Amino acid sequence: MQKVTKYKWQVSLTVVFVVLGIFLSLQYQAQNRIANDLTYERTENLIAMVRSLSEKRQELAFEIYDLNSKMSTLIENKNDEKKLIADIEAEAKKYDIVTGITAVKGRGLTVTFEKSMPILYIDIINIINELWAAGAEAIAVNDQRVTGSSSIFYVEDESSMFITVNNHKLDFPVIISAIGDPNNLEKGLTLPGGIIDNLALFKTFPQLSKSDSLTLPKISALPNYYFLYEYKAPPEITTPTPAITEKTVP
Amino acid sequence: MWFLPVFGLIIGAIIGSTITFQVPPIYVKYMSIAVLASLDSVFGGIKSILEDHFDGTILLTGFFTNALLAALLAYLGDRLGVDLYYAAVFAFGVRLFHNLASIRHNILLMYRTKKANGMR
Repeated sequence: MQKVTKYKWQVSLTVVFVVLGIFLSLQYQAQNRIANDLTYERTENLIAMVRSLSEKRQELAFEIYDLNSKMSTLIENKNDEKKLIADIEAEAKKYDIVTGITAVKGRGLTVTFEKSMPILYIDIINIINELWAAGAEAIAVNDQRVTGSSSIFYVEDESSMFITVNNHKLDFPVIISAIGDPNNLEKGLTLPGGIIDNLALFKTFPQLSKSDSLTLPKISALPNYYFLYEYKAPPEITTPTPAITEKTVP
Repeated sequence: MWFLPVFGLIIGAIIGSTITFQVPPIYVKYMSIAVLASLDSVFGGIKSILEDHFDGTILLTGFFTNALLAALLAYLGDRLGVDLYYAAVFAFGVRLFHNLASIRHNILLMYRTKKANGMR
């Protein structure tokens, strides 16, 4: 009997304790939720919270404004930079064309001498000069581009004489191609008393032909500059010679 | 012998924290008074065990009816504009401390008699 009652109180007490545990934990959670819930916060606290939060918000809004303006200036700078780079690239391209570093293409005129025609290197020089004067933008003789450092001359061996361009022997037919307005170039050469007329005296009748698409080769070797420096005006007149330092420009 | 109820309490707490049921915030007040009433019942039960006139049925019925009635009364008081909540808190609080005091007395008494028996 004693045992049965002992067993009984344990069972009922355990049941009660289980339920109590559920109650307690539920209540604990609910109370925790309420403690974190703004609805149950005191009015003064709420006012203080609102005040501090709105202050913080204002600060953050200012910061956003600052950062936005900073960003826009940075974007502007970047755009400027892009434009600058594009300009520089365009200019570099132009210089590449002018100095013959790239092959070029365009409308122009070709002047062709057949093998039977007697010409001297000076005739070629004259024609090139005339073409430049008539507004040519790029000139090549056969496969040699004519640039600022081009040379046109002649070499002799025992039996014959060759015209050379950039120290390359010139083979017939000699074709001088020039890019520019074809009509202007032609007029420049065929002026009355001009070069073509002069050549006609020697029974040389070069063939002029306009072309819509000429391709001029690039220079065969890049020029080397070892002694060339940009001239900068000296700050004082008393020091006329700037100090020369070893410098190589490939 | 006290192991089983304590284990039950722990199990209950774990169940309560794992189930997803949440007491709606409006009823948290009544829940709290129910918890207070059930705590009182539990201490009353412990006291009766110590005083050797424990009755499982009385404990179980007392536990649930007390909790339910306390919550209901508090709710009713809110409806009627009478703060029965405080009355319940007071009543159950007093009883709780009374029960605790009795438990303490009984335990002390048990300890002393045991000691006296042991000394003899």
